[in-house]
Amino acid sequence: MVDKGQVISLCRSLLRAGRQYPDYNIREYTKRMTLDGFRMNKNLTDHSKVEEAYAEGKKQMEVVERVVKVYLAYPPKTKNIMELKLQ
Amino acid sequence: MAARNALLRHLRVNVNPSPALPFTTVLLRRFSEEVRGSFLDKSDVTDRVISIVKNFQTVDPSKVAPKAHFHNDLGLDSLDSVEVVMALEEEFGFEIPDNDADKIQSVDLAVDFIASHPQAT
Repeated sequence: MVDKGQVISLCRSLLRAGRQYPDYNIREYTKRMTLDGFRMNKNLTDHSKVEEAYAEGKKQMEVVERVVKVYLAYPPKTKNIMELKLQ
Repeated sequence: MAARNALLRHLRVNVNPSPALPFTTVLLRRFSEEVRGSFLDKSDVTDRVISIVKNFQTVDPSKVAPKAHFHNDLGLDSLDSVEVVMALEEEFGFEIPDNDADKIQSVDLAVDFIASHPQAT
């Protein structure tokens, strides 16, 4: 039985893991995908569907943690233009 | 001449003058400043928090007030609150632990928490 607190903490840990990417594009993509994914399944009432979605989230968490290590091995050499503050 | 050379061979003169303050005390003074940490000014924190909440996608900027509650006044749900707290973490440059983040449900709670946290920048 997955409860609301667990869902919220999974969302938070996915967002935190996604923040470690040195590349702007995949960082924003991960943030967008997690928030959209959680919002899409926000109103599920069927327990088995909730469990399924939670398991999917856990799987994605493993993927992010693995891929972050690869990206950190090859950080971009210049800052992305989207990261520059407007003067 | 030989006497002069013999004398110089035994004398040692300081070429570099010693600094006015001993090096170690200067280091210690700076280190203690940084270790103590500094708390941010509350009105400054309030302005920054309000601007972040106003820029949030699903928020009506005119409803954002210092006492605004995320769920009751701004109509945000728990996922939106998570997103707002993440944005606050990024703005102020420090991590907010999960159980504290769950308690931040309004603008003034966020301001109080951040203003009382020494690691906020």
